[in-house]
Amino acid sequence: MKFQEELKESIRKALPELDVVIGWCGSFDPLHATPHFIYGEEDIEKLEISPLNVHNLATYLPGMRGKKVGVVVKGCDSRSVVELLQEKLISRDDITIFGFPCTGVIDQSKVKKAIGYVGNVQSCDMSDESLVVVVDDKPHSLKLSEVLAEKCKSCRYPDAIISDYFVGDRIAKKDPAEPNYKELEKFEKLAVSERFGYWLKELDRCIRCYACRSACPLCVCRDHCIAESRDPHWLSQENNVRDKLMFQVIHAYHMAGRCTECGECQRACPVDIPILMLKQKMNKEVLDIFNYEAGVNLKDTPPLLSFKMEEENITEKDW
Amino acid sequence: MKIGVFVCHCGSNIEATVDTATVAAAAREFPGVVFATDTMYTCSEPGQDEIVDAIKEHNLDGIVVASCSPRMHEQTFRRTVERAGLNKYLFEMANIREHVSWIGKDREANTNKAVDLVRMASEKLMNNQPLYPKKFTINKRVLIIGGGVAGIQAALDCADGGLEVVMVEKTSTIGGKMAKLDKTFPTVDCSSCILGPRMVDVAQHPNITLYAFSEIEEINGYVGNFEIKVKKKATYVDWDACTGCGICMEKCPSKKATDTFNEEIDFTKAINIPFAQAIPKKAKIDPEFCTMLKKGKCGVCAKVCPSGCIDYEMKDEFITEKVGAIVTATGFDLFDWTVYEEYGGGRYPDVITSLQYERMLSASGPTGGHIKRPSDGKEPKDVVFIQCVGSRDKSVGRPYCTGFCCMYTAKQAILTKDHLPGSQSYVFYMDIRAAGKLYDEFTRRAMEEYDTNYIRGRVSMIYPKGDKLLVRGADTLMGTQVEVDADLVVLAVGAEASKGASKLAEKLRISYDSYGFYMEGHPKLKPVETNTAGVYLAGACQGPKDIPSSVAQGSAAAAKVLGLFSKDQLESDPQVSTVDIKRCIGCGKCIQTCPFGAIKEIDFRGMIKANVIETICQGCGICTSTCPQGAVQLQHSTDNQILSEVNALCQF
Repeated sequence: MKFQEELKESIRKALPELDVVIGWCGSFDPLHATPHFIYGEEDIEKLEISPLNVHNLATYLPGMRGKKVGVVVKGCDSRSVVELLQEKLISRDDITIFGFPCTGVIDQSKVKKAIGYVGNVQSCDMSDESLVVVVDDKPHSLKLSEVLAEKCKSCRYPDAIISDYFVGDRIAKKDPAEPNYKELEKFEKLAVSERFGYWLKELDRCIRCYACRSACPLCVCRDHCIAESRDPHWLSQENNVRDKLMFQVIHAYHMAGRCTECGECQRACPVDIPILMLKQKMNKEVLDIFNYEAGVNLKDTPPLLSFKMEEENITEKDW
Repeated sequence: MKIGVFVCHCGSNIEATVDTATVAAAAREFPGVVFATDTMYTCSEPGQDEIVDAIKEHNLDGIVVASCSPRMHEQTFRRTVERAGLNKYLFEMANIREHVSWIGKDREANTNKAVDLVRMASEKLMNNQPLYPKKFTINKRVLIIGGGVAGIQAALDCADGGLEVVMVEKTSTIGGKMAKLDKTFPTVDCSSCILGPRMVDVAQHPNITLYAFSEIEEINGYVGNFEIKVKKKATYVDWDACTGCGICMEKCPSKKATDTFNEEIDFTKAINIPFAQAIPKKAKIDPEFCTMLKKGKCGVCAKVCPSGCIDYEMKDEFITEKVGAIVTATGFDLFDWTVYEEYGGGRYPDVITSLQYERMLSASGPTGGHIKRPSDGKEPKDVVFIQCVGSRDKSVGRPYCTGFCCMYTAKQAILTKDHLPGSQSYVFYMDIRAAGKLYDEFTRRAMEEYDTNYIRGRVSMIYPKGDKLLVRGADTLMGTQVEVDADLVVLAVGAEASKGASKLAEKLRISYDSYGFYMEGHPKLKPVETNTAGVYLAGACQGPKDIPSSVAQGSAAAAKVLGLFSKDQLESDPQVSTVDIKRCIGCGKCIQTCPFGAIKEIDFRGMIKANVIETICQGCGICTSTCPQGAVQLQHSTDNQILSEVNALCQF
């Protein structure tokens, strides 16, 4: 990437004041990137900015409270940082934000679907438009637009919303005024029984690994999650779809008006359950009732984290 | 846990549509239940004794009573189980009367539903914990909101009982609606002669602090320890120095100020004292009409004031008062009658409200006690009174009876004859509601001795005819149409909740009905209490009331306050939120959402944790539904207790 060196320079400048800077680097094969913790000069050189940088690094921040942390963010990741700051789960003084204009990331599930077997990736060459992956000496040419993550196609915040260092040229906001919920709206039109049947079917393959929870930047209860507690005892440990669905519903409720739709829950899911839709549904309702979008403005208070005697759009007295 | 279940017949209230014996038999099969029976009246003395005996005989450690609403008898049964040596929170109530027997006639369905409710109660009970109240000291001062006759009565009774009283009145004088009245029914004695001395007593009582022209800005705290922020609105007059001489009012050149005290039948000055007997008798400037405040020119009042008390720079002032109880006596306002197009919708100057007429009758009013038509100042000969204007009328959203209009209309008809012996009064009425001591006799007098023409029927139309008003209506007793050429029409406008009542209710955290009147604790048994501990009601804020009832309520509210303050310490309700410090991650979401500011951040071994201040917590449960990991739990309604109820009901 053009601005990769510029970014390294910024990190080099800021690092002496920081305990660590979190970015991305190459991983076990050329098709994957991995979060990268930069402590010194030799780490800086490994930093790579590419469409493989799927991880939302804001997820690490609440767990590093009290440390001086630098974090490299895509546009969507920066919204998580804003949300965490709004909720005072991290302190602005402790974090240094490195932003860049993001053109979208790759959905590994789509790559896998297109290629089939991806066990021995020998190389992966990317241009602005396409991606050539060599697996077992066989090259596969893929159009970037075909393997781009769904969320990137309708991205409204490609540039970091908040940053201390911003490298590269800002991409003018592709500007639909409201989030794109077309797929969700289509789903909403189905009958209740169809929708419920869909979720029972999808969630039946959940293995309760809680990767969705671990990847979520706003799931901050960590060891105290009610999924595994007895007091309160919301869920049993039985292997049934009812409890699996219940957990996802609880997660969605906890995210209502907080979720920035970074999609990490769905990306982390090893069995590809489309759980982002549940969160989108809650956000759509929140947008409708409170005219609010999470993680956009540092000064906002998420609507469900405040108390008002009377909400403008909930006219209880007229009921 | 060994649970005992008592299913009440409530005479035939429940038994008529619920098979209580079957419910008891089903309950015997529930986990934990070792004893179940049905009883005739569980709340009666033998009924309660049966519970006590069963606890002893069967070694019960939890009780379920399936009967009426917990609002009715939860306290009763809690005392019963306490008498038998159990903690009173090891008791659950299943409401099978209001929620079952009264709302459905299908005996089988009702019985099944009752079984479900009993099962939910017993499952919850198995998750209950003994809870213990804490004691806290109380501040024996009382706040009275509103200085009308009800507030005055409450204030004087409390003050005479030795309490320190703070009275806050919105307008610049106390006296309320009663101060505007000329005479009072059924004795026709002068209103200001009987109210005036009471108002003076308020001003002079050493135990009463009066904030007139002030409003309640904020109310924090809880029974025994409220903290009130009072806004003293700017009067632009230093009331400590003002002697009430009235020279400023005399000389003020701005003569078009709205005269709210005189119901706008005339204008007043921009600097004014509402009436001669005002308490406190102090001037205030109405900034909307003051040339000095609007344009920076004039300053006549400052020039003429002998005590130099005019201060054009004055700002609103905020005062904090600490009290232990609050009496709300905010009274009523008149319905906006101009929605009635058939009465002219406010276009005809000679159609006036009863309260405007009252000011006209009053010797201290703008006409000096002479009845004059607003249009031309002439004395009227034929006066038509129309009752139920904004009362008993669903079409304008006021289906209730204001209750006192029949009486004051009769009084005004009598007074009209007294003032103008040659006059003739007509009263269009729906029914005469004169239930009260000497009330019916009084309306009879208006008809028989004062020759008032009572016509049973509604007025369909008023329109001008020359310099008169033609009033066309029905006489339903005669079955004919009636037309009266009236010189003056007086509308008996109904009462509605005072403006801003709902906002104040929200500050007080009390509920109000769909018309804005405050809800009493119980329509029969708790007429002056509210569902918020330490907040009491007096007068028309609870519903339209005449003077004797308002005064009685003022005294009743005072008795409640004196009763509350007879103890030095109160017990706090243990049904509050608590934080499980192990599970709390210190995210502070509960602190943000608590409507009462009852949760504070604390430092626990270097970690941020939430902490509930028990006495401030009202047990609303918003924090518990906000906390994602369930670290905050509302005692007696914990997640596990609610889940056990849900699981009991939704079994699959």
